[in-house]
Amino acid sequence: MPGWTDPKSARVSFDDWLELFDRVPDELIERYHYYGNNEAWSKYLFPPQMFAVYGMRHLRRLKFDNSLAALRMWGFVQNETERLFRARQTGRRVIATMGDLGAVPVIVNSYPKCVAFYPDCIWWTPFAMESRVLFDAAAELGIGDATCFSRAALGAFAKHSYFPDPDLVIASTGASCDDYSGVEQLAERFAREMLWVEVPMRCGMGPMGPMGLMLVKEYERVVEAMARLTGHELTEDELRAGIRRTNTVRKMVSRLRELAFGDAALAALEMMVIEFGNLHYYSDMDEWTAVLEHLLATAEGRTARGERMLPEDALRVVWVTPPADPLLLTYVEDAGARVVGTEYVINQALEIMDESRPPLEAIAESFMAASLIGTSKARTQSVIHQARKYEAEGVIISGILGGSHCAMEGRLIADYVKAELGLPVLEFDVTSPSREVARQIGTRIDAFLEVLRGRR
Amino acid sequence: MKELLTPRERFGLLVIDEQQDRVPVFPLVTAHAARVAGISVRDYYTDGVAMARSQLVAQETYGTDFISFFSEVGLLAEALGSCYEYPDDDLPLLATPKWEGLPRLSAEEDRGCTHPAADPLHDGRLRVYLDAITYAYEARGDTVPILAYVPAPFTTAQQLVDQEAFLLGLLTEPERVKELLDYATRSITRFCRAIIGAGGLPILVDPLASGSVISVEHYCRFALPSEAEVIRYLHRYDLDVVLHICGDTRATVGMMPDTGADLLSVDRIGIAEAVAGAGRRCRIIGNYDTSAILLSDPTTVEREVATMVAAGRECPMGFVAATGCEVPQETPPENVRAFVRAAKEAGRNLDYGRRRK
Repeated sequence: MPGWTDPKSARVSFDDWLELFDRVPDELIERYHYYGNNEAWSKYLFPPQMFAVYGMRHLRRLKFDNSLAALRMWGFVQNETERLFRARQTGRRVIATMGDLGAVPVIVNSYPKCVAFYPDCIWWTPFAMESRVLFDAAAELGIGDATCFSRAALGAFAKHSYFPDPDLVIASTGASCDDYSGVEQLAERFAREMLWVEVPMRCGMGPMGPMGLMLVKEYERVVEAMARLTGHELTEDELRAGIRRTNTVRKMVSRLRELAFGDAALAALEMMVIEFGNLHYYSDMDEWTAVLEHLLATAEGRTARGERMLPEDALRVVWVTPPADPLLLTYVEDAGARVVGTEYVINQALEIMDESRPPLEAIAESFMAASLIGTSKARTQSVIHQARKYEAEGVIISGILGGSHCAMEGRLIADYVKAELGLPVLEFDVTSPSREVARQIGTRIDAFLEVLRGRR
Repeated sequence: MKELLTPRERFGLLVIDEQQDRVPVFPLVTAHAARVAGISVRDYYTDGVAMARSQLVAQETYGTDFISFFSEVGLLAEALGSCYEYPDDDLPLLATPKWEGLPRLSAEEDRGCTHPAADPLHDGRLRVYLDAITYAYEARGDTVPILAYVPAPFTTAQQLVDQEAFLLGLLTEPERVKELLDYATRSITRFCRAIIGAGGLPILVDPLASGSVISVEHYCRFALPSEAEVIRYLHRYDLDVVLHICGDTRATVGMMPDTGADLLSVDRIGIAEAVAGAGRRCRIIGNYDTSAILLSDPTTVEREVATMVAAGRECPMGFVAATGCEVPQETPPENVRAFVRAAKEAGRNLDYGRRRK
């Protein structure tokens, strides 16, 4: 980049990024805009300090990738709330998709001037802000601490200040997280229009058996609802183009996973953000694609130069279920481990869609690989596959207090992993938003990593 | 009654041009917070934790939408070498400016005499502010914006030099004035950077650039460019910058947006005039008379604030109900409560969050 050369690859502190940002020339700050316009409000290359000033207190405790691409990624991701409001202000339709984590936005984003987003992802906000505000708002509406952190989405709906009131809410339910289905039900009162989509179980009859075909019918209802909303009849070519664009993103993320897990070209925190970008591209697919290209070039460059973000001898672990508290990833890496595989319940968003199939079938087929619609054993297969591929030495399962599938699945996955691979497994529940990793969890992580070291 | 939005959520909507549940309410409670908390003013401005605790108490007591740190406009000048007296129960007073006359900074630097920027961690009482911001941010940063007033270059420069000599220099030695402004600016941006790192949002305050002190011509020639330079720096961080100029700004309000400020905090000007002059380019913050809040009764305050808010809400870019300048230290708390109550009521947005059908 003109005027900028990445320093030697490293994870750096919040304060370090303030120093680094002094070196970023104004021309680069002016260069990156979302929604492809040149308005001042659409710039996003800003340091974590800016977002901390606006309340993202947890950023001060995390460690970040010191590349320009990573700074760009963080800036882009962090200003998504503003971006969604700007979407509405600039005449775009804003569609909340809920519960399915990755499939419906492929359809929504194929419509002109429509932006899909997941309120589900608000679950990170209380942790990023070290705040109970959204949980308290959800509790006033009937969902308290016995429910998954995703209840923060309900608080956000109630407040009307984290995203614009959606033009349409498309809520998936059925064979998905039942806690979140409860959140969706309560969110309906805030929806102008709500379309419920039934998500089927994977019953071992092949991806496009009766359940897959049922899903196609459900997606046809999505298309009808979008046509009513927009007045636009989506053509097959438009939907195919949407699938192609989505596949472009998914392929890049797949390559980034290889570079991160295999060569430590990126750290776990950035990789989690990258993987979750596959859900709805942080509300601007074109710009997110450009951000990924930048990240990929950075990661490829590091690998070519033999640079690593984490030491060669770091302990290799696979992480199961995304940690609501991102500080856990920083903590584990600081303690001498690195993440070489993930099962973040978004397997459906990582699958490459078959571009030769009828479009809705292709979307349904990829969704039928979803993490949460099959057996725990099937979900474990992804963990085992990655553990073997990257020679993992242990598995960490971070559950969610109140998240019922976590409570049910954690022990089962642990047992399968131990039986199949003989690897140690650490399972814990993430605690409520806080300034630091809970002492007890920290101690357990430390002890677990000591066990892994002892096994070498 | 519990409100739907936190102050931070409300401010977040304001700065992205979205409707809020009501106008944000911001009586400029600074050293008055010491009275509310029952500590001496001297403790307030010399001990960061005391300053923070006072502001936290005041914010909770009055239910305002911001926590704002400020003691006096000499903060940067002191860090750069001017001397101040610290009365027990009043704000610092300038005892001796760093220079009697306008210095020849470039000539001195040519001779090898450097003039480094102030160090926010070690010079003067800058650290007091940073400690206060850090404390308040940890305590309430998730729900309330933490603001820190930073004296602008023009105001700071007048605290570095004998004020008469400075004002005369505007006419006779403009180049030296500009050098002095540049010198102040370096320290100001460095301090702003430290504030940002601590979690605070800097507010640029330039009271000595008001129409009560200088002419329009001098504002445009000296004060405005130096304000703009600091604001440009803050915009590198995408921060929404408040420019506060108290006193009479009737002649300059139309130019103040040229600084790049996102919000203008004004004082002695009709609110409708301020909205007409700058309300299409900036959000307006203002501007209840600080003498009135000190001397009036709560009923009068309520009535007048409601009128002010009604006028302010006409601002196309948004409005914050504030006092024109600092709430005087001796202001009766019931008057501040009346201000807040009336501003919230008059500023309520009954359409907020209504489901759009």
